[in-house]
Amino acid sequence: MATREAGKKMIMLKSPDGMEFEVEEAVAMESQTIRKMIEDDCADTAILIPNINSKILSRVIEYCNKHVPTTGATGAAASDTVAPAALAEDLKIWDAEFIKVNRATRFDLIQAASYLNIKGLLDLTSQTTIDTISDNSLEEIRSFLSTKNDYLPEEEQTIRRENQWAFQ
Amino acid sequence: MTCVARASLLVPSMSEEGEMSSLRRRRRSPAASPLEDDDLLSEILLRLPPQPSSLPRASVVCKSWRRLVTDPQFRRRFRLRHRRNPPLLGFFNRFDGLSFQPTLDAPDRVPLGRFPLQRDDGDYFVSLGCRHGLLLIFLPERLQILVWDPVTGDQHRLTIPPVVAERAEKIGISGAVYRAAGDVQQFQVFLAVTDGDGPKHRRALACVYSSKTCLWGNLISTPIPHQAHGSQFFTMVTGDALLAGDSLYWVLAGNLDGILEFDLEKQSLAVIQPVDVRGRRHFKLMWAEGGGLGFLFISESDRYTAQLWKRLTGRDAIASWVLARTIELDKLLSLNPEEEERIVMLGFVENNNVLLLWTVVGVFTIHLESLKFKKLFKTMQMSHYHPFESV
Repeated sequence: MATREAGKKMIMLKSPDGMEFEVEEAVAMESQTIRKMIEDDCADTAILIPNINSKILSRVIEYCNKHVPTTGATGAAASDTVAPAALAEDLKIWDAEFIKVNRATRFDLIQAASYLNIKGLLDLTSQTTIDTISDNSLEEIRSFLSTKNDYLPEEEQTIRRENQWAFQ
Repeated sequence: MTCVARASLLVPSMSEEGEMSSLRRRRRSPAASPLEDDDLLSEILLRLPPQPSSLPRASVVCKSWRRLVTDPQFRRRFRLRHRRNPPLLGFFNRFDGLSFQPTLDAPDRVPLGRFPLQRDDGDYFVSLGCRHGLLLIFLPERLQILVWDPVTGDQHRLTIPPVVAERAEKIGISGAVYRAAGDVQQFQVFLAVTDGDGPKHRRALACVYSSKTCLWGNLISTPIPHQAHGSQFFTMVTGDALLAGDSLYWVLAGNLDGILEFDLEKQSLAVIQPVDVRGRRHFKLMWAEGGGLGFLFISESDRYTAQLWKRLTGRDAIASWVLARTIELDKLLSLNPEEEERIVMLGFVENNNVLLLWTVVGVFTIHLESLKFKKLFKTMQMSHYHPFESV
């Protein structure tokens, strides 16, 4: 097992485009998928993350680095010294900056978060997607998400009539 | 050695509600947009706001969206996700055959008459309250309880246990319906009555039904203290229940003006007396700051100021109360002197923390934290409204 500092286990993550990322085991284990591999002793030296390119993987690692529960020198959780509310507020501000990305990157992050099973990141990316469309008209939603309306006009009318009040 | 992360083989589909998604998954291709993957798309759509128009509107976007948002399991997960912040859809009018008065603006204004009680008999019925998207109804002629989900139309009929049924028939009954945290399928029903010979030997009785076991539990009882200066009327359990913390509360009225508490954890009953209850007969139970038990009361000397009293922690029967805040209703609602004649508290909406008030100029909702208010409609007939919060 690679080790960089005493007491901190390191894990090598490889993206399919050949990049390698050495990360603390605790950070990598923010991903439930990787956690399971480590716990099953399936991660001796390196883990290949298929489907996630280095650009996205580096962003995911950045997210996990920020969100991993930090421990101080004494081993006490950082939240013992900093008020939990202040920590949560700090993370919220950081998340808001982190997710200022274009749609393609956000969609890649959604897929990566799901694939690696990182609940917080999936929450952040999915909620941001919903927030960007929630005040828009149906036409705007379709165009914004490049979703094709595959209803015939009369089919759409029938569905609208089922809950007419929702379209007033 | 290099290991390859195989997400879908190693972990079940992600879901914060801890259940596996049964939606048939399409094969995940790395190049596809998350919107083309059923599992990812439902993760995204689960975060739509809980307003009633959300899912009907999403279902018009395209066929795959409709297929997902009409899936019963998706609906359950959606309800579970928004369980803590259900919108206040409106009020059921107890004295008008449970007609529905919507409160939201378009496009979330679910129309009147959307929730007709679908019954195949012509029985007389008495509604006892609403909670967690369910309405609790007493059928006096059959001595049954009906639990109705106005959104799905589901109905459950329960036969009231004999001792409680006998009291219900003679003096009426109060009750509450409840769903445990993290559960949108099972429910519990709580019934509360009083019995005893004469005003001095009164006790409160309660029984609990669980939809999981389809059984009523044992009767639980507690004595009701006799109030020497109280009226000669029997003390009775009245009104809609309040759920605050881990307890249900009802107002006791009659000889004793008090509060009946049902502790959900201990499964026990207790009588609490609000401080100096004389002249405070018209109080409404509601959440104090932090979600504990409080009551709101408008005094007879100052009929425009609402006082919110908060129960201090302490589990003894003689609870201590503090005046937490006052709200000058006439100033808040900009009522003219001639309109101030009477302000009546109609009810409290738990999750939305909203007070329902009647005045000559109309029925208002007031959000107790922000003090934002909204005029709903004008009526000269005061009624009993059950707030309906549901996703």
